[in-house]
Amino acid sequence: MTTELFIHLILGLLLLLIPAGVLYWLDRPSLKTFGIAVGRMLVQLALLCVLMWALIELNSPWLMLAWFLGFTVYTAFLVLKRCKLEVGSLLLPLSGGMCIGVFLVGLWLLGVALHVRVFDPLWFVPVMALLIGHVATMMIRGFSTYVTALQADEEQYEFLRGNGLAHVKALLPFFRRSLLAVIAPTVANLSVLGLTSMPLLLVGLFLGGFSPLYAFVVMLLMVVGCISASVLSLALSILFYELSQHYFPPTAV
Amino acid sequence: MLEVKDATISVGGKCLVKGLSLIASDGQMTCITGSEGAGKTSLLRTLMGFLPVESGFVSVDGELLTVASAHAFRSLMIYLPQEIQMLAHQLKAPEMPACEADEYEVWNQAILPSAVKAQQPEPLEPEAIYQLAEKTIREAPDKPIVIADEPAVNLTPELTEQLLTLLIAQARAGKTVLIATRKPQLLARADLVFNLDTFK
Repeated sequence: MTTELFIHLILGLLLLLIPAGVLYWLDRPSLKTFGIAVGRMLVQLALLCVLMWALIELNSPWLMLAWFLGFTVYTAFLVLKRCKLEVGSLLLPLSGGMCIGVFLVGLWLLGVALHVRVFDPLWFVPVMALLIGHVATMMIRGFSTYVTALQADEEQYEFLRGNGLAHVKALLPFFRRSLLAVIAPTVANLSVLGLTSMPLLLVGLFLGGFSPLYAFVVMLLMVVGCISASVLSLALSILFYELSQHYFPPTAV
Repeated sequence: MLEVKDATISVGGKCLVKGLSLIASDGQMTCITGSEGAGKTSLLRTLMGFLPVESGFVSVDGELLTVASAHAFRSLMIYLPQEIQMLAHQLKAPEMPACEADEYEVWNQAILPSAVKAQQPEPLEPEAIYQLAEKTIREAPDKPIVIADEPAVNLTPELTEQLLTLLIAQARAGKTVLIATRKPQLLARADLVFNLDTFK
C-alpha cells in the first residue's frame, strides 16, 4: 500500500465521524456496537482482498479451483444451517449440485459468452463468487421447499407411488414446487431490476472503468447466468440428494 | 386376484396380524375390517409392497409380490389412501408463491434470506374428496385392482353411497376391489368380509 493511498484511506474513514458523532450525542451505548461492526467489516474486507491478491499474484488454475471448491462447500454448509437441515447427510449432495451447476454455467459465461481466459483470476473469481452467492440465496428457498414439502406432503408421494408412478415421477410435483420457489423471487426482481435501485454489480462495473454498453452486456449475462446456475444447481442437488437417499438410506430408528 | 397366505405383519416390532390367509377375487368387493389399530392399513400397505410380510406371502394373479418387485404390481393398482383428504395438491397443483421484489433482492443483497417451510395443504372438503376418488378411478380404466383405505371416513352418507356405487361398479366390471373399512354401510354391501381381530 502506498503512503498516498493510506492517507486517502484515512481521509475516507474520517467520514465515520459523522455516524459516530451522532451516536455519541444521541445513543452512547450503541457506539461500542457500531465500532465493533466497523472493525469486523474492515478485517473481513482486508482478508478477502488478501485472498484475492494471492489468487491474482499466484495466478494458478489449481489454486482457483481449490478456492472454488472450498467456497462452494462452505456456502452449501451456510445454506443448510440457514435451512436448519441436517448437515451430515445433505452437505455432499448440495455442495456437489452447487459445484457442478455453478461451474458449468460459469465456464460457459467466461469461455463462450464473455470470451475471456477462463482461469484469469480477475474474471474467474468475481464471476464464480457472484454465481455462488446468487445460487446460495436461491438454494435456501428451493432446497428447503423441496425437503420440507416432501415431509409435509408425504401423503401425496405415497399416493402417487401407490398408483404406480416410479420414484422419480412421484417426486416431480415436489421438484416443481421447489422450482417455483426459486423462480418467484427471480421473476419479481427481474421486472424491477434497475428501476427501484441501481444494481451493485453495474455500479462495480462503472467503477471498474467499463463503458455503459459493455457494462450492460456483462450485467445482462451475469443475470442470465445466475438464473441458469440456480435452476441447474437445484436440479442437480435434488438428483444427488435422491441418489444418496437411494444408495445410503437413513438408518431406521 | 390378490392372495395372502399365512401372512404375519409386524410394524416397529409389534405383531399386528398373524397367520392371515385371504383371497380377494376378480369381480368381487372384499372388505377388511377390525378394531382401530388392528392392522388394516398395514395390511393394505403390505399388499401394495410398501411393507414386507414377516412370514407367508402375497401374490397377484399367482405372481409373488415382494417389496422389491412391488413397483411392477402397483402399476396394476388404483390406490385411494386413508389420508386422501390431505391430497389437495392432486386436485390443484400449488401456484407460484407470492414474492415481493425487495424480499429477495438477489443481485444486491449480501446476506442470505430465511428458509421457506412448505406447509401441508388444507384438508379437502367431502365433495372434493369424492371428486378426487372418482377422478383417480376414472383416469385408470385399465387397472384391474382397486385398493381403498377407509375411503368413506370423511364423506357424508350421500357421498359414501355414491362412492360405494362407484366401487361396486368397478367390481362388477371384473376388477378386484379391496377396501379397509369399519363403516357398516360399506360392510353390508361387501361380497366378502375379513375381520382382522380374529387373526391375532
